[in-house]
Amino acid sequence: MANPLRPYLTCIRNTLTAAMCLQNFPCQDVERHNKPEVEFKTNAELLLNPVLICRNEAEKCLIETSINSLRVSIKVKQADDLENILAKKFLRFLSMRAESFQVLRRKPVQGYDISFLITNYHCEEMNKHKLIDFVVQFMEDIDKEISELKLSVNTRGRLVATEFLRQFI
Amino acid sequence: MAEEGGRSGGGGGEDREDEDEDSEPVEAIINRIELKSRQVEWLLKSAQYAEALKTALDDSPTKTRDETCKSANWVVVHRVLMASKDTDALLSTLESEFYDILMKYIYRGLSTGDRPTCEQCLRLHEKLTEKAGMGCIVRALADKRHTV
Repeated sequence: MANPLRPYLTCIRNTLTAAMCLQNFPCQDVERHNKPEVEFKTNAELLLNPVLICRNEAEKCLIETSINSLRVSIKVKQADDLENILAKKFLRFLSMRAESFQVLRRKPVQGYDISFLITNYHCEEMNKHKLIDFVVQFMEDIDKEISELKLSVNTRGRLVATEFLRQFI
Repeated sequence: MAEEGGRSGGGGGEDREDEDEDSEPVEAIINRIELKSRQVEWLLKSAQYAEALKTALDDSPTKTRDETCKSANWVVVHRVLMASKDTDALLSTLESEFYDILMKYIYRGLSTGDRPTCEQCLRLHEKLTEKAGMGCIVRALADKRHTV
């Protein structure tokens, strides 16, 4: 796997492996509640330092950890307006179906394109390394997916234009 | 396990630390960093990269809350990190006591979003994780008192 993305993904994989030491932790304020602390931030001592991993200005990944949950937010590379629109539409499509992905957050964190929220329950139900594999695989595929979409949009645009302009000759 | 440590060490301990920090004036720290910076500059000129890295990491102002001290030291460390392309040689002679602090600086470098810095830091991160293991990353994540 000798692609330029590899060091970036390796770094994220290692950081996630280290960060994903989650345990059950009931809410400190309300009896019988159990909330992801990374979302509610009720107490500073339950949170770990957030880590921002950038590849460049456009591609970055924010990993926030707390005692019982972990949030991974990803900003996808967007070279031009078309990629911007495609990324937005595509990730919105995924976010709307967040339940079927389990770890996907319904709304991305501000400034990012897509977020994952992994709680201790996910870690208990699923294999930790598979979860990490999923996130890393997702990041690897999303770029590929968007460039493929872009190609097909361009091809289709060209075909439509040719067909339409043919009537004038 | 890391969470456990963070929890028991929070609260009161942090406040006491704050008082200790105030006793050390910012100017003294800045002066020390400037001195170190000159030394590092000299070591870099004579191409002793590993030695320069050790000097830069040594006595980092991790306890203070003052941003100027932290960024002054970061500038010095950043210069050393970017000076050499050969990351293996840079890390091979580094003592294990510096692993944690270097990891924190690597994460700081990664958060800048500057392309060459990030590339170098990603390379270093991979090498350092191989050497120091996961514990090093966990300590960088969990240590809220000694930030860089």
